[in-house]
Amino acid sequence: MLRLEGIDVHYGATQVLWSVDMHVAQGEIVAIMGPNGSGKSTVLKAAMGLKAPSGGRVRLDGREMQSAPATERPRHGMAIVLERRRLFPRMSVHENIVLGAYARPARETRGSLDWVLGLLPDLRDHLDATAGKLSGGQQQMVAIARGLMARPRVLLMDEPFLGLSPAMVRTVSAIMRTINDEGVAILFNEQNAKLSFALSHRGYLLESGRVILSGSGQEMLDHPEVKRVYLGVREEAVR
Amino acid sequence: MTASLFLEMVINGLISGSIYALVGSGIALVYGTTRVLNFAHGELLMIAGYLVLFFAVTLGWNVILASVVTLALVGGIGAAIQRVTIAPLLAREDWAFRVIAATIGLSILLQSGAQIVWGEQFRTLPYFFDGVVSLGGLRMPVQRLSILVIALALMGLCALVLYRTGLGRIVRATAQDAEAALAVGIPAGLVHTSVFAISAVLAGAGAILLSPILTVNPWMGVSFLLKGFAVVILGGLGSFGGAVAAGFLLGLIEAASVTVLPTEWRDVVAFTFLIAVIWVRPNGLFAGREA
Repeated sequence: MLRLEGIDVHYGATQVLWSVDMHVAQGEIVAIMGPNGSGKSTVLKAAMGLKAPSGGRVRLDGREMQSAPATERPRHGMAIVLERRRLFPRMSVHENIVLGAYARPARETRGSLDWVLGLLPDLRDHLDATAGKLSGGQQQMVAIARGLMARPRVLLMDEPFLGLSPAMVRTVSAIMRTINDEGVAILFNEQNAKLSFALSHRGYLLESGRVILSGSGQEMLDHPEVKRVYLGVREEAVR
Repeated sequence: MTASLFLEMVINGLISGSIYALVGSGIALVYGTTRVLNFAHGELLMIAGYLVLFFAVTLGWNVILASVVTLALVGGIGAAIQRVTIAPLLAREDWAFRVIAATIGLSILLQSGAQIVWGEQFRTLPYFFDGVVSLGGLRMPVQRLSILVIALALMGLCALVLYRTGLGRIVRATAQDAEAALAVGIPAGLVHTSVFAISAVLAGAGAILLSPILTVNPWMGVSFLLKGFAVVILGGLGSFGGAVAAGFLLGLIEAASVTVLPTEWRDVVAFTFLIAVIWVRPNGLFAGREA
């Protein structure tokens, strides 16, 4: 479905991604895990066209996406939930959600809104609220709803659990599974290894802009390096 | 101070303020949406002044037709400036200073161009409206009062577009988070071009309203640019409503100043007030209420 091939990204003269290869198949949840500054967000932005790669290719269902600017990609079935929600804070929840359908034909908006509010029914009570005044968890729901309004086949999620309470992390995880059950593939990034790989079918470990490990969620959780560095399990225990 | 003198002061303040509000709200709209400070904004006002003179006086068109054509042309010029001068620079990561330099250069170019094309003489448009209105013992030309009424109507229309239309929604979305707007498919380039066009139309309207009572000349934009920037800072950088309110406030302060002090103190009072506000409220009087 979504395939990144040999992606290089530079910020000015500084290279931040080095020949990154990743793919997400239909129906999958795929995690990108890595420490701060490893390039996780940049991978998602490069996939969405928000940051132009300096090398490599992005393909969606075999179609080259290089020539499609970010504004075109929702039309092709991609959407992104940006880090820290990035809502339009002085607009209402309803306006925020509906803007998610901007790239879709206007006649689809009503049906998409019903579908999204069916998946996230709690938002019905907040549609007239100002988005910037909601709690972090509620804002994340709105951000997910806005992304889903594009009726994506693949949803990119940049740190979806950042700043959320443990209870809200469980809620958002459950929502991600529900969305996935609806046929939407998800590529998300997260710093917490246990959370990332427990939720995902497959995962990638990114360090200093390079993919250093990949495998199924369970393989990643069982990998000695992941256990030692990211799960804090001592070496003798790993052996 | 007599009641009629006070009334005259207030009405004069509101009239000047309405022009400052037109100019300032245009600058605020552009800054709030694109983070670009357009130093050539005053020249859009100047070009509109010359265009309306050309259509209404040289060609002898009906003043309403001349005004509508002028606004359409100035809107197009504003859009072209954004496309040709600013958009290519915004693609660079270090665009901020380059855009300031480019728009200052454009401002000088347009002033010099106006001198070459239209000469250095000061010109005035005939009054659009005849007659005088009596307000509580005060006699005010309809032409002057029309400035306030038309400016308020135009800013109301602009607010309607911003807050009640699809275009307004994508402009506000881009102003609040440009990257998030891009991510949902909103074409930032189209939004930027649109706000430059709207901003140019507001400046053009100011020029048309002013042309019968002030003179049209190649340098007329400079003082309005400075007042426009003052209004934008007072209103809270990027706040459309704040700029409108600050425009009227500045007009009233100036009117009060010329009532009690010699006229040459007007700008001293206005800019002293601006500096005092920046001391107390560095983000302006209405910060945080931008589109």
